[in-house]
Amino acid sequence: MFCYQCEQTMRTDTLDGCATDKGVCGKDANTSDLQDILIYQIKGIAQYAQLARSVGVIDKAVDDFIQYGFFTTLTNVNFTATRFVNMVQEAAHIRDSIKAQYVAAATAQGKPLVEPAGPAQFQPATDMDGILKQESVAVVNKDHELVGEDVNGLRVLITYGMKGVCAYSHHARTLSYHEDDIDAEIERILAYLTTNPTDIEDLLAQALSAGHLNLKVMDLLDRANNGTFGDQEITQVRVTPVEGKAILVSGHDLHDLAQILEQTKDQGINVYTHGEMLPAHAYPGLKKYAHLVGNFGGAWQDQQREFAEFPGPIILTSNCIIEPAKIYRQRIFTTGPVGWPGVRHIDNGNYAPLIQAAKALPGFKQDEEAKTITTGFGHKTVLGVADKVVDAVKSGAIKHFFVIGGCDGAKPGRNYYTELADKTPDNTIMLTLGCAKYRFNQHDYGNIGGIPRLLDMGQCNDAHSAIKVAAALANAFECGVNELPLSLMISWFEQKATAVLLSLLAAGVKGIHLGPSLPPYLTPNLLAVLSERFDLRVNHSPEEDLQTALGRAVA
Amino acid sequence: MPTHHIQLTTSDGQTLSFACEASEDLITAAEKANIFLAAQCHAGSCGACIAQCESGEFTLGECSTDALNDTDRAKQQVLLCRTFPRSDLTMRLPYAHSLVRFEKIPVREAEIVAKTYLTEDTIKLDLQLLPDDDGNLSLDFEPGQFVELTLPGTDSKRAYSLANAPNWDGTLEFLVKLRPHGKFSSFLHETAIPGMRLTLEGPLGTFILQDNGLRPRYFVAGGCGLASIISMLRRMAEWEEPHPVKLFFGLWSEEEVFFQQELADLAAIYPNLQYQICVTNASASWSGYQGSVVAAFAEALQAEESKPDVYICGSPGLIEGIAEVAEPLGIARDALFYERYIANTPDTEPTRCEVS
Repeated sequence: MFCYQCEQTMRTDTLDGCATDKGVCGKDANTSDLQDILIYQIKGIAQYAQLARSVGVIDKAVDDFIQYGFFTTLTNVNFTATRFVNMVQEAAHIRDSIKAQYVAAATAQGKPLVEPAGPAQFQPATDMDGILKQESVAVVNKDHELVGEDVNGLRVLITYGMKGVCAYSHHARTLSYHEDDIDAEIERILAYLTTNPTDIEDLLAQALSAGHLNLKVMDLLDRANNGTFGDQEITQVRVTPVEGKAILVSGHDLHDLAQILEQTKDQGINVYTHGEMLPAHAYPGLKKYAHLVGNFGGAWQDQQREFAEFPGPIILTSNCIIEPAKIYRQRIFTTGPVGWPGVRHIDNGNYAPLIQAAKALPGFKQDEEAKTITTGFGHKTVLGVADKVVDAVKSGAIKHFFVIGGCDGAKPGRNYYTELADKTPDNTIMLTLGCAKYRFNQHDYGNIGGIPRLLDMGQCNDAHSAIKVAAALANAFECGVNELPLSLMISWFEQKATAVLLSLLAAGVKGIHLGPSLPPYLTPNLLAVLSERFDLRVNHSPEEDLQTALGRAVA
Repeated sequence: MPTHHIQLTTSDGQTLSFACEASEDLITAAEKANIFLAAQCHAGSCGACIAQCESGEFTLGECSTDALNDTDRAKQQVLLCRTFPRSDLTMRLPYAHSLVRFEKIPVREAEIVAKTYLTEDTIKLDLQLLPDDDGNLSLDFEPGQFVELTLPGTDSKRAYSLANAPNWDGTLEFLVKLRPHGKFSSFLHETAIPGMRLTLEGPLGTFILQDNGLRPRYFVAGGCGLASIISMLRRMAEWEEPHPVKLFFGLWSEEEVFFQQELADLAAIYPNLQYQICVTNASASWSGYQGSVVAAFAEALQAEESKPDVYICGSPGLIEGIAEVAEPLGIARDALFYERYIANTPDTEPTRCEVS
């Protein structure tokens, strides 16, 4: 096992990365190795999918598998080794299928056949022990001694960024939104990685291509969410329990939540959102369900305590799951790409077992005093009051904007974002997105002329909203985004945030503060390049970084 | 009275510690610290609390040789309920931290729904749990675990494995072999009727599926040992677990055979499952495997390419028999997962259990 895809990875004097029997996240070596093999195979599928496209063959099921498969390997998504044993074999079949389609079409068109090398040729062993012995060809840093840490770091940056891209794209696909040019670009970049690239400039350009691609994907997901469930509206969300039977829905997938709401309608069960599902309350197509009663709990890393306290079943629809404690393990369900060994998985959209569990479990005995928070400040909502915002900036009432986004983590250093939020001056606005906000989003920061100081834009993919708002403000002030009184404080934890970071860089955003620590695969040389070209900044103390941010030019 | 520091390490590497006086056994001392370890008889006769001593001095009280034999003792294995510290001790537990409880074992009430004779002396007992004080209807257990049923009007308890997979409606199913002169057997046979209430305590036991096991799974059940095994199989079927599965269900005579239809139904919905009903003293007309379950297991294992995980539930003789044939075929005894029934209580009903 070797894995260093997330921020919590083991860091020692001699090695950055998890390389023992079990990663810090709880993933065991077998599962990690199988995931490496799956990623390697999917790159091979992409090689043939790209060739197939060159002869006019597009197989949506292949595109689905590529993106779903990548999603299963994100941090805190799937820990079930048996699922990967099946997927490794399925990947080989899918590779054979797209290869056959390519060969047939190319032959029919009289075109010479291309036989791609590397992952496209990989054949998994038929037994478990044999598959695990094949891991050495697939481990993420296998060539680092050969090509050097900088080249290796950029290859890894692209691979991990593509995991985020695929995860967002998968979310859109569950709502039946997909675009061929996105699928093609995903496959092109994955196939590019199989060429063993070594040119630093080329690798940097491809990393930015992944960022550009993710901008398109986040836009697609934005359209998928708003197109399916209506544009986000400013919404008060209850954060205290209501008497009655209860189900808690965690993760990001609005499609899963919609299905659960529909199936629990009129069943006497209240549905609560958890974590990144909070913004769901702002969509008309979801808030119309009266039994979507509120949001429960805080940041994902608190789930072992909070899930134990929740008196009903809990379902995880995407990241982030951490080891379910015995006390609530029987009450946990997973769906979609998520998995934990010994936890019930639902993969057919029939949530009857979840509903049965909700009816058997006690639920909340009584109402707690009502307390609410506000969400729903998507780009359309914010831009709907753009005139007011622009006037407030021009009058000096608003001095600065902070985008505080990305994903949260368990380490004490994550208090940085709480301190930062608490110390922002009263004449500044915070735009939050992702789960970094759960340490401070129940605090009342007041308002500026009726505009709340904390505007929650949604899930981490709503970085797209932040970019749109920034672009609109830049347009209003007739300046570039980098001249706006705007600072991005990005909390990095896993691969969705890696994709978001690449998107911001691709959009030309400079001066991003990234923390609390940097990805271990960003070598000092790579960091120097990013600092030089994008003014990428490493977190210092909240006070110091606030001072730096507020020292920027004001429009 | 001197007090010693006891440190336990679970199979997944987590540690637990508590203080124990020289006059206390380790199970009792742990419970005083709200650490409820696997245990059942508390008298050295069932083997449920077996552990490996890694360092320190202790005195071991009287133990059944079925529960702890001389070989086990020579390897510094102990039964925690009969272990009295004479120094600080470090011990290794053969099960994971998630199976240690930090609150008392739940006590629940249930109602008899049905009593069905599967054979002349084998009963299927169906119970319906009543909601607990919090309104919970179901029992939170892992397939393979057991509960203790209290004989009404007495303090006597008997351990029976759950044969159903975990569910939310609170229905429980048990397989009970009626023992001549057994108190609980007599109660079930003569007195128990639908509607009667029973008290149960559980879940207990550490004989459970290894969550992340990837290898094929072999299951060996002797008689009513099928209960815990079929609970595991029902869960695997319900979750569509991908492992290839072979079940070897052993009985002495054709008259003892039960659950043929249930196994056929299970295999119909779970194609991964292959099974053999093995009858040792079979007549020529028996269409299943004619011979011992150990022989059937050995034949299958010899033909297997991948070494399977092996789960066994039955008598000590069955466990030993399987261990003896498994070892030369590359599966060490400590790679077997098992629970054994030890019929050594005064009224000859079985107690539990030991797990590797």
